[in-house]
Amino acid sequence: MAAQPLLLELRNLAKAYPAGEEGKPLAVLRGITLGIAAGESIAIVGPSGSGKSTLLNLVGALDHPTSGEVLFHGRNLAGLDELALADFRSREIGFIFQSHLLLPQCTLWENVLLPTLACPGHKPVEPAEHRATRLLARVGLKDRANHRPGQLSGGERQRAAVVRALINSPKLLLADEPTGSLDRAGAQNLAQLLLELNQEEGVTLILITHALELAQRMGRILELVDGQLHPAQP
Amino acid sequence: MKARDLVFRSLVFYARTHAGVVLGAALASTILAGALVVGDSVRASLRRFADDRLGRVAFAMAGNERFFRAALADELAARLNLPVVAALQLPATATTAEATARANHVQLLGIPPDFWKLAGHPASFADLDTNTVLVNERLAGQLGLQPGGTLLLRTPKPSLLSREAPISPQEDASTALRLTVGAVLRDDQFGRFSLQANQVAPGNAFVSLAHLQARLELPGRANLLLVGAEPGQAIATNRVAEALHQAWQLADAQLELRTLPATGETELRTSRVFLEAPVANAVLEMPQARGILTYFVNELRCGSQSTPYSIVSALPPGAYPGGLADHEILVSQWLAEDLSAKPGDSLSLAYFVVGSRRQLEERQHTFTIRGVIPMTDPLADRQLMPDYPGLAKADHCRDWDAGFPIKLDRIRAKDEKYWQDYRGTPKAFITLGTGQQLWSNRFGNLTAVRFPAGAEATSRIEARVRESIRPAGVGMVMQPVREMAAAAATQGQDFGQLFLGFSFFLVLAALILMGLLFQFGVEQRLAEAGTLLALGFTPGRVRRLFLLEAGVLVGLGSLLGVPAGCLYGRAMIYGLTHLWQSAVGTPSLFYHAAYPTLLAGAAAGAAVAWASAWWTLRKQFQRPVQELIARGAELEPAGPPLRQKTSPEMLLATFALVGGSLVMGAGALGTDYAAPVFFLAGALFLAGGLALAGLLLTAQATADGAAHPGLAGIALRNAARRRQRSLATLGLLACGSFLIVAVSVNRLDASRQADQRRSGTGGFALVAETSLPVVHDLNTPAGLEFYGLDATALAGGSAVQCRVREGDDASCLNLNRAQVPRFLGVPPEALQSRGAFSFATVARGLPADQPWRLLSRAGPGEPVPVIGDAASIKWAMGRSVGDLLTFLDERGRPFQARIVAALANSILQGCLVMAETDFIQLFPSETGCRFFLVDTPPAQAAPVSATLTRAFRDVGMEVTSASRRLDAFNAVQNTYLSTFQLLGGLGLVLGSVGVALVVLRNVHERRSELALMVAMGFRVRAISRLVLWEHSYLLLGGLGVGTLSAAAAVLPALRSPGGGLPYVPLLILLAAVVSHGLLWTWAVVRVALHRPLLAALRNE
Ligand SMILES: Nc1ncnc2c1ncn2[C@@H]1O[C@H](COP(=O)(O)OP(=O)(O)O)[C@@H](O)[C@H]1O
Ligand SMILES: [Mg+2]
Repeated sequence: MAAQPLLLELRNLAKAYPAGEEGKPLAVLRGITLGIAAGESIAIVGPSGSGKSTLLNLVGALDHPTSGEVLFHGRNLAGLDELALADFRSREIGFIFQSHLLLPQCTLWENVLLPTLACPGHKPVEPAEHRATRLLARVGLKDRANHRPGQLSGGERQRAAVVRALINSPKLLLADEPTGSLDRAGAQNLAQLLLELNQEEGVTLILITHALELAQRMGRILELVDGQLHPAQP
Repeated sequence: MKARDLVFRSLVFYARTHAGVVLGAALASTILAGALVVGDSVRASLRRFADDRLGRVAFAMAGNERFFRAALADELAARLNLPVVAALQLPATATTAEATARANHVQLLGIPPDFWKLAGHPASFADLDTNTVLVNERLAGQLGLQPGGTLLLRTPKPSLLSREAPISPQEDASTALRLTVGAVLRDDQFGRFSLQANQVAPGNAFVSLAHLQARLELPGRANLLLVGAEPGQAIATNRVAEALHQAWQLADAQLELRTLPATGETELRTSRVFLEAPVANAVLEMPQARGILTYFVNELRCGSQSTPYSIVSALPPGAYPGGLADHEILVSQWLAEDLSAKPGDSLSLAYFVVGSRRQLEERQHTFTIRGVIPMTDPLADRQLMPDYPGLAKADHCRDWDAGFPIKLDRIRAKDEKYWQDYRGTPKAFITLGTGQQLWSNRFGNLTAVRFPAGAEATSRIEARVRESIRPAGVGMVMQPVREMAAAAATQGQDFGQLFLGFSFFLVLAALILMGLLFQFGVEQRLAEAGTLLALGFTPGRVRRLFLLEAGVLVGLGSLLGVPAGCLYGRAMIYGLTHLWQSAVGTPSLFYHAAYPTLLAGAAAGAAVAWASAWWTLRKQFQRPVQELIARGAELEPAGPPLRQKTSPEMLLATFALVGGSLVMGAGALGTDYAAPVFFLAGALFLAGGLALAGLLLTAQATADGAAHPGLAGIALRNAARRRQRSLATLGLLACGSFLIVAVSVNRLDASRQADQRRSGTGGFALVAETSLPVVHDLNTPAGLEFYGLDATALAGGSAVQCRVREGDDASCLNLNRAQVPRFLGVPPEALQSRGAFSFATVARGLPADQPWRLLSRAGPGEPVPVIGDAASIKWAMGRSVGDLLTFLDERGRPFQARIVAALANSILQGCLVMAETDFIQLFPSETGCRFFLVDTPPAQAAPVSATLTRAFRDVGMEVTSASRRLDAFNAVQNTYLSTFQLLGGLGLVLGSVGVALVVLRNVHERRSELALMVAMGFRVRAISRLVLWEHSYLLLGGLGVGTLSAAAAVLPALRSPGGGLPYVPLLILLAAVVSHGLLWTWAVVRVALHRPLLAALRNE
């Protein structure tokens, strides 16, 4: 494993939010250093408000760190402008959130293909429609392509959101409490699916969750406490 | 806590959201109240104008060319116990001393001092001295007059005998007065005095009655009688008519009853020469009355001998002791000798008859001489000659003014001698029957009626004559002018409705906007509603709570609308008197608002605003409670609407589109109602188009996904997401653009095809109007010569001459409802042969191929056929084609007129046109022509116009280009259209603000989705584009549906002359709306997407 080149490297990453009315800036992340190899599956746990989402947003290039660096394939994201960052997100990152955020008026098919419109110039090896068909079948939504999100169950919607996140063949899948609005069985199923896809598609997975049960199925578990990441006991 | 408290808390808590609703309701109330206030103002202005122009005058008798005794006023006053004033009223032209400025249509009034007692605010102007003239502000303004300045007035010198009658003198046709301006009278000083209802003041010049009588050689005469009454004092028309009947005397009708000393006979004669038919008919019914017709002949010839210029009488056969056959003639001793004629010889008689244009036509008639009478015979009576104005007082034959050139060389010494010895003693006698055959004319067919001596006392005869004629028989009719003025003002153009119509779309836009804002507010509070439901409130009760809240908001808004409505009304009045003055023609409209009107406007605003709130709420709160609570503002449609086989929209779209096509097809086949039919088709297309747009949105919400979705497709899908919201904006824009485009096609351009006969100018290049009548034929060299013109004056063109009977202007230029319109007498053939003008409608059942020919009357008992301008008939008179109308003729006798056809937008607006023959019968004393349609090559129009203006200066001819005149009429409609477009355009702008609001709301609702797209790597530019696209669909779709449907509606107008789309302004307007809408959308998107979207992704 150690021989694997690092996909993602966080160097002394810190994030502080400007303070509100009074008081000093709110330091959420205080110097996080971490290396993640391609193909890994990682769970991040921690109490609510500890900065998990903040960390994920920095990794996904949705936000800029106060200090420190995020290196992706050895390239420093800080050197990229907004356009390049958007490009980067669309090719390399897939996001899943607690809320599926599928467009209610579009069919599943359109919803999962939506990310391909973000960078129309991009010509992936596997044509997007082909991949969409394959992945929808893989998550068991083959027959539902022409349905609207409103016609699906919560679990099905999240699975569609997973397909959407994977449509551009990203290297890194970031899931921020994707099971938060699912029942226990649904959560188990989704976690299982994510792990399997992590294997099948070779996509690196970072999953934020409250559920220890799910975290324990990941390759490693990191706990965010006081702005620091600590390996947690599996 | 009561429901009231709950409502109050909510109001305070959601104040910001509510501001929009208050504003919407305030806007609606403002516009409605403002529009009504405009109506109030115009009505009040017209009422004040009516008060100003009539003062205390309640009844008036305008005699025009009839001159009665001024003393009649006092006699009438005594009987009525009301102030009565006699005055002279004459048309005049006015110039400044240096002829620097000129006014053609001046009303010259000769008034006694008592006249001012009839003013609304009794003003006293000391007895006017002979050289003083008082002018009103209008005339002073036209000529730049100041007190002390000099004014030259020219007025026709009235002759008792119409200038169109045979043997009527033509010299001295007008009198000039040089006067000093004593004062300039304001409107409230009776300066506006006029019997015609028009918001534009006439140009008035007041001079001393006595002075005018002297200058016009009409001592003691007047032609205008005014009866005053206190404001509000009701006086029955009958009472006034009865008093007039009691007071009038034969002298008031220029009738004279005298006893002939030689024979003791009583004779009724008139200084008008010919006894008018009603008088003659009435008198002839009396026992023993004998009619007499005496005429001036040019020549009496027997073989080679002839006698010039003589008088011949026609008497009833009974007057000849030996009898006389119709072909026989008795000659006097003198004539027999002069012609060396004897009984049995044939004698030919040459005489003039007068055509309708005063063309003199010499006719001949041959008689057989029955006998010779001595000069001492009672028949040889010099009293038989009527008082020909140009002859009676002449000392010598060579001084005669017979109205035609007397060939002086033909007058021999013996003729002069005869005139000295015998004056107008007839030289020959024929039967009355033959005489009337030869010499009857429209002025009468008798010159005197005689009663044998001793038949009855003169006073008895007089009483009976007065009884049988009655004043109306000689055109002396009292008009209830105050009543008519009130009617004219109250039934006048309702500007309130007009502006309500104009503002309709603006109100609609305000309401839809308000509805949207209200709905957004409600959506934000769905969770609250859900909670209330969960607490056991029924949906109806929750809705009532929300409606109650809306009621408070709307009430507040409409209260704000009251002062705002006043301001808006003021702004509109300012617009009408400044920007849009051509629509009202007067700068003197003033602002007037009645409280009930304001309250009505505000209440109407509140009602419609509340109704739109109700409409918004009607389907809310029917979702499951949990859904309402759980999802609140983020509520998404649960699933796509069910696919229905036939939705109501499908039906509507199909019906409307098919119906529209059918209607349009029918319209294309040709119909009289092309414009409304096509408008209907357009409206159907609009409805169909909107239904189709609705279907399209539904389809977008349910259709299968595209295999390769694109951003544009997704944008379309998004537009379908909030279907109702999208449809509201789309519909608003569609209706607005439909109205504006469809209506703007009615903008008229007079210069288009102005040289064509079927256009509104009738193909005539010039229109001329004179203040004083022209009695000669401008199409003959002789006629032109009379005015010092040669035959080339019209540059090879010709003129159609029309007679005019003044009345209220019934065109759109008059805001009052015309009570008695102006009548034109035209030669129908002259118009038909030119194929002049096109007709909008021809009465049902009448042939439409030669509409001008419809003016010829089927029979004497039939209604008089009249033709008017379509717009004048409909709007100014409130009538329609085929209607039977009743008017009074000159003698006050009612006659029926039928509108047989309506002209399409023409220069003949404002009057009713009848055949000249009918006109002459109804208004025999209206002399000559005062309205001229002049044909001349377009290139020559300017020089011909200049020539005519110069030559006809003394009759006050005003020549305008026909297309300019049409433009003046069109300006009214065009101005209305501009107003409508302005307000409609404002509505559209409001509509595009609505689009922006929807964008704002949509972006807000979808913040997290948009944030996700950012996370997916979409550039902010691409997301903006997506949102922009989505809303451009609404914007362009709305305008597209509206404009295309409007295109169907305006098709026929595009093909008619003078019509045509004002493409450029329209395109500018539509482009402005599109760019305005896009600008707002873009701005909203920018602001919305500029804020960090990330927060929206947070899970909490
Ligand atoms: N945009 C922001 N501005 C200010 N404070 C923020 C912002 N985003 C997050 N925070 C704060 O940072 C802390 C970490 O938040 P977050 O990363 O969302 O926690 P977690 O996802 O672990 O629950 C919280 O205390 C939160 O209030
Ligand atoms: Mg979080």
